[in-house]
Amino acid sequence: MDHAQFRLVIPSQTRYLNLVTGLAKRASLVAGLDDATAAKVSIAVDEAVTNVILHAYGGEGEHSVELELRFTEQALEIHIWHSGRGIRGDQLVLPDPKEYIKHPRKGGLGLLLMSRFMDEVQFKADEVSGRNECCLIKKIS
Amino acid sequence: MADLSIAVRQVGEVAVLLPAGFINAHTVREFEEALEGLVQDGRYLILLNCKDLNYISSAGLGAIMGLIETVREHGGDILLSNLQDNVFAIFDTLGFTQLYRVFTDEDQAMAAAVPERKG
Repeated sequence: MDHAQFRLVIPSQTRYLNLVTGLAKRASLVAGLDDATAAKVSIAVDEAVTNVILHAYGGEGEHSVELELRFTEQALEIHIWHSGRGIRGDQLVLPDPKEYIKHPRKGGLGLLLMSRFMDEVQFKADEVSGRNECCLIKKIS
Repeated sequence: MADLSIAVRQVGEVAVLLPAGFINAHTVREFEEALEGLVQDGRYLILLNCKDLNYISSAGLGAIMGLIETVREHGGDILLSNLQDNVFAIFDTLGFTQLYRVFTDEDQAMAAAVPERKG
């Protein structure tokens, strides 16, 4: 497969989540992933974009979220850019599922799903543009 | 088609909630309100029949987590049935299948729910 990539920009509104997750699922199938894996990729993308809308932008709907899908022989990469509040990979603390079950509470599960369902989850900041990126990678076996 | 529609029916002591579509950050409030409505009515024995649920994100899981202690404190429970593979994978990946009882179909869930309530 040739290396291919395309971009989609959505407003920072949760009403577009279904559009984005549907796209992620279809892209996964095009990349050669199976149905079950495609469903997991779509969930990971949902969680990542939801984090951007609700946390990076604080629920403000007038901003933009940019997604880029990159198809290579080895992997499907989904890059998500925003100009809101960023997080660094070394700041992340994933909840322990066993502890979570002992002490149930809302929140904290999205990052865990992302990390379990993808092969790599990276958070980066571009100091030149001032934008932040979440990169999700699923390898094609 | 709406992202999410929710039907509720009462079968004996069990309130059966049937979400159809997608539960994500956009639709979760509707799902949460349906669950909260049951609890406010004192209907603490709840079965989530997920046969038409295509997708649930952590927002939806959080809504369930937010009420589980309340229903159990009142002698009830939240049971799950008819999970599609991808929905089961989410629950299982997070270890929630240890916290909630999951049944293949509604009949099995009903059989387990009612004796529990009486016992």
